[in-house]
Amino acid sequence: MSIRKCAENNTAFRRLNDVYRNREKELLIFRENGGKVVGEIGCDVPDELVIAAGMLPVRIYADRESSLEEADKYLELSFDPVIKAQFEKLVNGSYNDLIDFLAVSNSTDVIIRTYLYLREIKRIEPDKLLPPVEFIDWLFTRKPMYKTQNEKTVKRFWETLEEWSGRKITQEDFIAAAEICNKDRAALRRISELRRAHKPRITGSEALVIIGSAFFMHRSEHAELVSQLADDAKSWPEAEGVRLFLTGSAQESAELYTLIEKSGAVVVGEDHDWGDRFSSRDCNLSYPPLQSIVDCYMLRDFSSKKALVSERVKTLDEAVDASGARGVIFYINAYEEAASWDYPSEKKSLESRGILTKAFVKMSYPVSANVGLEDKIREFTKALGGV
Amino acid sequence: MNERKNAANEPPRARKSLKATAVVSSYQKEWFTGLRARVEAGEDFAYLNADVPMEILRAMDIPFVVNQWWAAICSAKRMAPKYYGLLKEAGYRDDLCSYCATALAESLDPDDKLSGPWGGLPNPTIAITRLTCDCQSKIFELFAANHGAELYVMENTVPRSTPSKWWELAPDRWEDLYDKDRLDSAVEDLRELIAFLETKTGKKFDMKKFIEVMELVNEQEYWYKKTRDLIAETRPAPVTVVDTINAVMPAQWQRGTRWAADHAGSLYEEIKALADEGRFAVPNEKHRLMWLGRGIWHDLAFYQRFEEKYGAVFVWSMYLAMGADAYIRNNVQSDPLRALASRYIGMEDFLHMPPWNSEWFLSEARRNHIDGVVYMVPENCMQAVEGSYFIKKIMEDAGIPVLIFKADPVDAREWNRETMTGLVEDFIETRIIMGGNK
Repeated sequence: MSIRKCAENNTAFRRLNDVYRNREKELLIFRENGGKVVGEIGCDVPDELVIAAGMLPVRIYADRESSLEEADKYLELSFDPVIKAQFEKLVNGSYNDLIDFLAVSNSTDVIIRTYLYLREIKRIEPDKLLPPVEFIDWLFTRKPMYKTQNEKTVKRFWETLEEWSGRKITQEDFIAAAEICNKDRAALRRISELRRAHKPRITGSEALVIIGSAFFMHRSEHAELVSQLADDAKSWPEAEGVRLFLTGSAQESAELYTLIEKSGAVVVGEDHDWGDRFSSRDCNLSYPPLQSIVDCYMLRDFSSKKALVSERVKTLDEAVDASGARGVIFYINAYEEAASWDYPSEKKSLESRGILTKAFVKMSYPVSANVGLEDKIREFTKALGGV
Repeated sequence: MNERKNAANEPPRARKSLKATAVVSSYQKEWFTGLRARVEAGEDFAYLNADVPMEILRAMDIPFVVNQWWAAICSAKRMAPKYYGLLKEAGYRDDLCSYCATALAESLDPDDKLSGPWGGLPNPTIAITRLTCDCQSKIFELFAANHGAELYVMENTVPRSTPSKWWELAPDRWEDLYDKDRLDSAVEDLRELIAFLETKTGKKFDMKKFIEVMELVNEQEYWYKKTRDLIAETRPAPVTVVDTINAVMPAQWQRGTRWAADHAGSLYEEIKALADEGRFAVPNEKHRLMWLGRGIWHDLAFYQRFEEKYGAVFVWSMYLAMGADAYIRNNVQSDPLRALASRYIGMEDFLHMPPWNSEWFLSEARRNHIDGVVYMVPENCMQAVEGSYFIKKIMEDAGIPVLIFKADPVDAREWNRETMTGLVEDFIETRIIMGGNK
């Protein structure tokens, strides 16, 4: 039986897959029961705090089928297509009945612009029904003084959540929520280990479902399901194919992974925000709450958006080595420029150690819009000794 | 637009009529020669992004060059095609971040000392940038590595509160412009920068000297304010943006020196004399245009193409107006570092964030009796993504038509001046002269 078949027959995976494919289902139930939902743009909104406030954090995601009428009106050409599609849904009212509040983290420049534009639309075009917005302005440079400032930023978010939820968030609330998130991250890291194992038991496309479903459901249930799945998958058959690592743009769906797997490869790791990076660091609960959150989000693996080239080279080298990948695919969407500056140095470092690389830049969204991509991926896989 | 320009088709040089423009040009060359001598004698030399608080280095007598000014020089010398070719050869994309990456590209040129502008850029020992976009620190790190310089980065924060009419608050009520913690944080950043520079160079920061620098900046910008106001009030205008950009932009990077303050004073006096004598830049001025965006450094003559045919004159660019409104900080002595913090963190807000930029542009358009706005938006620079929808809307709601077009300030490879001229001519004819709808 193939891994895919095993997954389809697995109760935990079926539940995660259902949430992943029907991303509004859980939040609608949550709202019907009187709960409040916080939409998130950017990967650095501390979910622990949202959960501690008794609310449900969900990621804003792009709708690949949607027109971009509103986005094209407000946004300049140089907004990357995924953010553009997310912005469209926020402004065209798609989220009006889905979220109560919006939290935006400055995870990349384009998201900062998104926040500024939403704020301005609210001010000058109040007829647009936009939710209350909070901006989380992290300082990612790793200096002690910035840690202190980040604690103040998190404190403001804490207070905003109290206002939104209408209840005090106690230290106990935070610890309980952080324990849930830590448990979830630990379970996800077990999934990563199964992917990276000498004989991988989970493919990249399954892993994306397992990770991404966290963004649309109760985290405690997610943690239980992933933990169960990690136990079950130990006995799944080995995934066969050339071991590849993926870096670059976040993948909100498994479309690209499916294409890669069709070429005879297996994606054994990635460092984008809808993949392994999500679970790379826990909240250290021996610290006071604010320090714990800052430590977790400020000191995670370097993202391509907020790091120096040298930091990215080191981070990528380590991640690729840990995954045992023989090749690395750089997949960068159009107008998502930062990673392009890292690429030549990353390529040089990886190839000096015998790891081949292939770059796909200025990519259209969705993945299927890129004519000939499948053939190019197949060529690369073949060059690595794949089928 | 896609037609690549060859050397034989280079645009004509812009006409510059002011003595102050010629003076700054020769001063820059002389200053650069002196800077090179200091570097060759072993002094530390810093390369800074434009939004770095250079007043600190000025007070510490650390020589520096500003990235955007140098990119403009490279572009004006028509080096960009060669440099972006070098980027490509080195495996980088040649269509990214052109304004910020020009010096990185130049650093890849083995012949820089022979064929680079003004004998090429001396090797910096320090490279400082702020994190005002995702690419900035990466470009500076690569640049620093190529030169063997030490990299230093400064953080950037986003305003939560946006009080209206920042340009009225900035000179005296600068504390009220910002969230308190933003200013606190920026002051901490300045202290860290000073500590870094002291350690790196062995030079000492002297608060008294720093206050002198800050006062000199105020003096220089005071003259820019008077100049801006004079041009705004005088019809026809005594000068155009070709004169003011070339006189102000290079001198702005000399701010905090006696020379720069005096130069700003002489610029005002020269323009005042022109106005008093009734000598106008374009005597048949009929339409006053505002230029939004960075200067087209590779084709400054473009601004003058509409004068004879339409009497359409570019009278406003941000270069002079930012000097007039964004820099002055009175009462420096009360807290000199905080005053500087309130200057440098605002630059990004004032220029690139609605509503601060849009409201200011409208205020300036009204003050300068603007009939139409030509707005250049680069495709490959996220920092210059500044809410063009909001800017256009506020202008056009006020009855001032706006033409937005895509172009690059330093990379001439995709620039077709005939096509762009046609665009602006059509805009003048249909939107300004005939008053047509958008």
